[in-house]
Amino acid sequence: MTKIYGMGENKVKALDDASFSIEKGEFVLIVGSSGSGKSTLLNMIGLLDRPTKGKVFIDGTDTTKLNDNKISAFRNKKLGFIFQFSNLLTDLTVLENVLLPRQIAGTNGSAEKDARELLKIVELESQINKRANKISGGQAQRVAIARGLINRPSIVLADEPTGNLDSVTSKIIVDLMKSMAKKLNQTFIIVTHEPDHFGDVDKIITIKDGKAFEGEPLAHPEIIA
Amino acid sequence: MEYRLRLAKRMLFNKKGSLIGAVLAVTIGILVIHVNFVIFQGLFDAIVRDISNYRNGDILVTDEADYIDKSDLALVNWFERIPFVQGATPRLSSSAEINMTKNGNLIEETRVPVVGVDPLRDVKASTAHETVAEGTYILNRNSVVLGNNVATDLGNAQVGDSLKMLIVDRSGEDQIRRFTVAGIVKSPGGQGLDYSVVMHIDTLRDMMGRSGESGSFMVKLNDPTKAFEVKEFFLAAFPNDDFIAETIEESAEEQLAGFRSGIAMINLIGYFGMMSSAFAIVTIQMMLVNGKTREIGVMRSIGAKRKDILIIFIFQGMIIGAIGAGVGTAAGLGYTIYAKETKMSFMNSIPLEVNYNWEKIIQTALLSFSLAILASLYPSYRATKLLPVEAMRTV
Repeated sequence: MTKIYGMGENKVKALDDASFSIEKGEFVLIVGSSGSGKSTLLNMIGLLDRPTKGKVFIDGTDTTKLNDNKISAFRNKKLGFIFQFSNLLTDLTVLENVLLPRQIAGTNGSAEKDARELLKIVELESQINKRANKISGGQAQRVAIARGLINRPSIVLADEPTGNLDSVTSKIIVDLMKSMAKKLNQTFIIVTHEPDHFGDVDKIITIKDGKAFEGEPLAHPEIIA
Repeated sequence: MEYRLRLAKRMLFNKKGSLIGAVLAVTIGILVIHVNFVIFQGLFDAIVRDISNYRNGDILVTDEADYIDKSDLALVNWFERIPFVQGATPRLSSSAEINMTKNGNLIEETRVPVVGVDPLRDVKASTAHETVAEGTYILNRNSVVLGNNVATDLGNAQVGDSLKMLIVDRSGEDQIRRFTVAGIVKSPGGQGLDYSVVMHIDTLRDMMGRSGESGSFMVKLNDPTKAFEVKEFFLAAFPNDDFIAETIEESAEEQLAGFRSGIAMINLIGYFGMMSSAFAIVTIQMMLVNGKTREIGVMRSIGAKRKDILIIFIFQGMIIGAIGAGVGTAAGLGYTIYAKETKMSFMNSIPLEVNYNWEKIIQTALLSFSLAILASLYPSYRATKLLPVEAMRTV
């Protein structure tokens, strides 16, 4: 896919014919230097933005053909998001934040039970009634993980999930994501500039000047060059 | 609770300044309408009340031929058989020249309105006797009651003073009689008989040469809402006479028409005030949307549709409208109760006739509630237009 921002002389090619595939259940890192197009790529995969050219297939569906409502429903059911700054809704409690994607989906059946279970896994069951702005950054990121997983999405997208955390909390978050991925057989696609924090992963995609390369940067002399 | 309503409520209540500002805008809009209504409609109703109480009754009967020649007894008895009727009384009007000597000076007044009343029947159908400020109401056929303004024009005439009155009778002859001032009437706002001289109707009949005739009959009802019914019943009962029967709205139409359009104008200003409160809501809600841009982006990214965002902000408009309408109506009612209980008047003028017009109260509350929702549509629409990626970049 290709993504161009701006027009005329101000045109910026954020992604340049980037193409790759990811298998179900893989734990994938997207790496690259600042401004290389990592987050743009994640936004395309997460259907938060549309490519200028090219297509994004998820579970065999050409997502570029979906209308706004269908994209929203698709994001809600198939995709889970974990952002760098957790992006919790500060007007809601921890539990309400986790419940939100399920409530948007309109399937409230066992929602609260599932949310409590997830909060237990991320070790935040004692904080459920706290307002989201009353917990620490690490706790907020764990709530964001629980929120990203509540609808059992087939793909979880994380944009610099440890970028704003200290090394101890980062390790806790990474371990948590890895264990969840294994337990629920979910695909994790993580944008990071700290691949070392993640240890062994199934795949690394390197982005350089908008182009995508499978494998670590060292495996590609053209990237280093 | 529906998650969109909960979110709308939390977002709003966590921005107390905006909430209070928006609610105040609605409240003030409603309050202006209530205050306008209490004052101007109250003044209008007070004038209607006083015209009815002092001059026209709830039904005013006149005759196409200027004078009614049917006997007082026949007509009063006919009316007083009807359960809704409190009393009926004949009235006769003319104008007179008056002169009196006060402190050695002769004071003359011309074209003074004279009202002839039946003192016994008048007290049942009119409250003119309650406006006596000094002395008493008509005592006998040789006494008169002066309106306060007439008394002033006659050099501050007092009870017990003697005056001479000239009235031209039906054949053009001057009829002069001397009277004693029995009392002085004064009504708040001067809507009563303050500019007239009140005398016994039979004396006036004698002076005018119109024995047994009346100018009008004023009929007071226990239940003024039955006025039309009683009027129609009366006209049907006397098909061969040339009676004209009018309800207070009809008989006072000329005096009230200008006032009525004035009230409509004032109401219009009130509704414009309400419109400006709607603009205040638009501004405040735009601020709320701007303050929640990142949250809107997050919600969209986790699957909220444009419709969901629209509903959240419309819910906010509904909450603002509901609280504002509630507070505004309560404040308006509080003012109305205060005005009613204190018989509010301005600078000793006519006391307002304050009524609870529930239809208008509910209508105003519903209108402001609807306006608040309407005002929230544009900010809500703007919120739906935010792109998730761009919205989330907002700090």
